[in-house]
Amino acid sequence: MAMTTSTRIRPEGLGAWRFVKRLRRDAIGLLLFVALFIVIIGPMISVIFWAFTEQWRYPSLIPTKWGLSYWQETLSRADIVTALPLSIGLATVVTLLSAVICLPASYAFARLKFPGRQALLLSFLSTNAFPRFGLYVSIAVVFFRLGLIGTIPGVILIQIVNTLLLMIWIPTSAFQGVDRSLEEAALDVGASRLRVFLQVTLPLVLPALSAAVLLTFVSTFYEAQGALIIGIPNVTTMPVLMYSIINSQVIVQYGAVISLALWLPSLVLLLFAQRFVRGNAISAGFGV
Amino acid sequence: MATARATTAQPAPVSAVRRDFSALLAYVLISPPVLIMTMLIFLPAAQAIIDTLFVADNATGQSVFSLQNYIHFASDPILVANLQFTILITLATVFMLFVVGYPLALYLRFSTGRIAAAVQVLALFPLFVPGVILAFALIRFLGTHGMLDTLLHLVGITSYTTPYLQPQGIVIALVWENIPFTVLVLTAGLRQVEDAVVESARDVGANDWQIFTRILLPLSTRSAVIVFCLNVIGVFGAFTIPYLLGPAQPMMMGVSMQQTFNNYQDRIGALTQAVITFLFCALVGILYVRTVSRAR
Repeated sequence: MAMTTSTRIRPEGLGAWRFVKRLRRDAIGLLLFVALFIVIIGPMISVIFWAFTEQWRYPSLIPTKWGLSYWQETLSRADIVTALPLSIGLATVVTLLSAVICLPASYAFARLKFPGRQALLLSFLSTNAFPRFGLYVSIAVVFFRLGLIGTIPGVILIQIVNTLLLMIWIPTSAFQGVDRSLEEAALDVGASRLRVFLQVTLPLVLPALSAAVLLTFVSTFYEAQGALIIGIPNVTTMPVLMYSIINSQVIVQYGAVISLALWLPSLVLLLFAQRFVRGNAISAGFGV
Repeated sequence: MATARATTAQPAPVSAVRRDFSALLAYVLISPPVLIMTMLIFLPAAQAIIDTLFVADNATGQSVFSLQNYIHFASDPILVANLQFTILITLATVFMLFVVGYPLALYLRFSTGRIAAAVQVLALFPLFVPGVILAFALIRFLGTHGMLDTLLHLVGITSYTTPYLQPQGIVIALVWENIPFTVLVLTAGLRQVEDAVVESARDVGANDWQIFTRILLPLSTRSAVIVFCLNVIGVFGAFTIPYLLGPAQPMMMGVSMQQTFNNYQDRIGALTQAVITFLFCALVGILYVRTVSRAR
């Protein structure tokens, strides 16, 4: 009885009900969008404004005088001229080392059977299970005894720690995702194992591998805490330089110009990463 | 005949040899990262515990077990205040992350279309803003005479006090920084609850709140636990944000450790603080690793 009433009521009510529901959902969506936009994009807009400001008097919402003059001045500062190539070089070396160390291992985790495989794979989660700065201090004390404080090898080592989980888990899940029957088909028609790997397996995992490499490069480029505690006082990367520029902030534009210039690689990643965000590559890096 | 015997007899040893070889190869391939992890995570952490628990005896010069370093920590009111402050900031930040994260995750779980896609892009955006740049941006946005102050001034509100260099400043920035991870994982958890389950609950008359608390929450606890654990550990071990946006006193443990290590050159003091943060995060860390392992 109840069922017949409900089916009788639905036809005329359904369209309007759905419409109201969708309207309500869209209203919630728009509300969330506006709130997020102010909170998330607002701070970035102030950085962009400040980078192109000659003069900004309160209470003007936008700079009172626009201009580019601080770009030349900031980017020719001696500390920046030395820190930028150092940062790029360090991030490149750390990423390459991490790839050489981790990618073969991730292949082994995905494809080879051996006792303790699962436990060892999970052990890399421990890089997330320690409060980061406490761990860095422990490493710093060991490095102090080894004379690695203030040296480039010391900074490279501490930055590699950060890359392990990402560089192992993302490629491992990519290798696991390859359909084995494709490889077997290639083997059946007489291709060598090497050729199968290069021409069948590799192209299939390449997007995930490049995502891992790119994420590693960008996160290493911006890594500041480890580089600060180990690098002091000889090795100053760009993010470490930002600490002193923010803390001393005599001229706001310096910080704004550097922030904007530093942020460009991340923006490129953002555009590139849209495909991977949906592919869960990023959540694999959290061990989800 | 000989060949036939060979082919029937051989498969077992060959596959055994191949299996041994493949296991050996696997260990060779995985040893570099495992070695690095052992030397740069487990050994320094173990060394820190040993170094702080064994103190050189004045009379004999030998190392003896002593809680002296920890007693020193507990009797220093500034350090104790720092620890309390860190716990407080951690609780506030994690609570706020759930308050902000769940509505966003619920919306993204049940919505499709352009608005939802735009909300998702915004929610993930902070993933691509490094800590130092975020700190600078928030100072310009939230600081005195910053953009928010100006906006409020335009609508006639002049009583704005900045959270910059206040505890609230740290919470705001840490929430900002951790929204993407929180929303990503909570949404993934909610997606594991099938539409049919939600629909059938609605058919028997459950309202939205009941569906959330009785169906969605219990069925997605795993993702909530991961979010809780990683956010607690992340905030407890934070440095950049509290260093740049927080008050000079009390400090969060990360800042306190850095000052002790770099400015006072007191390595054992810094290690003691580090081990205390390990201790506070140990349970949460174990819970995290166990939650992820059980799911796999």
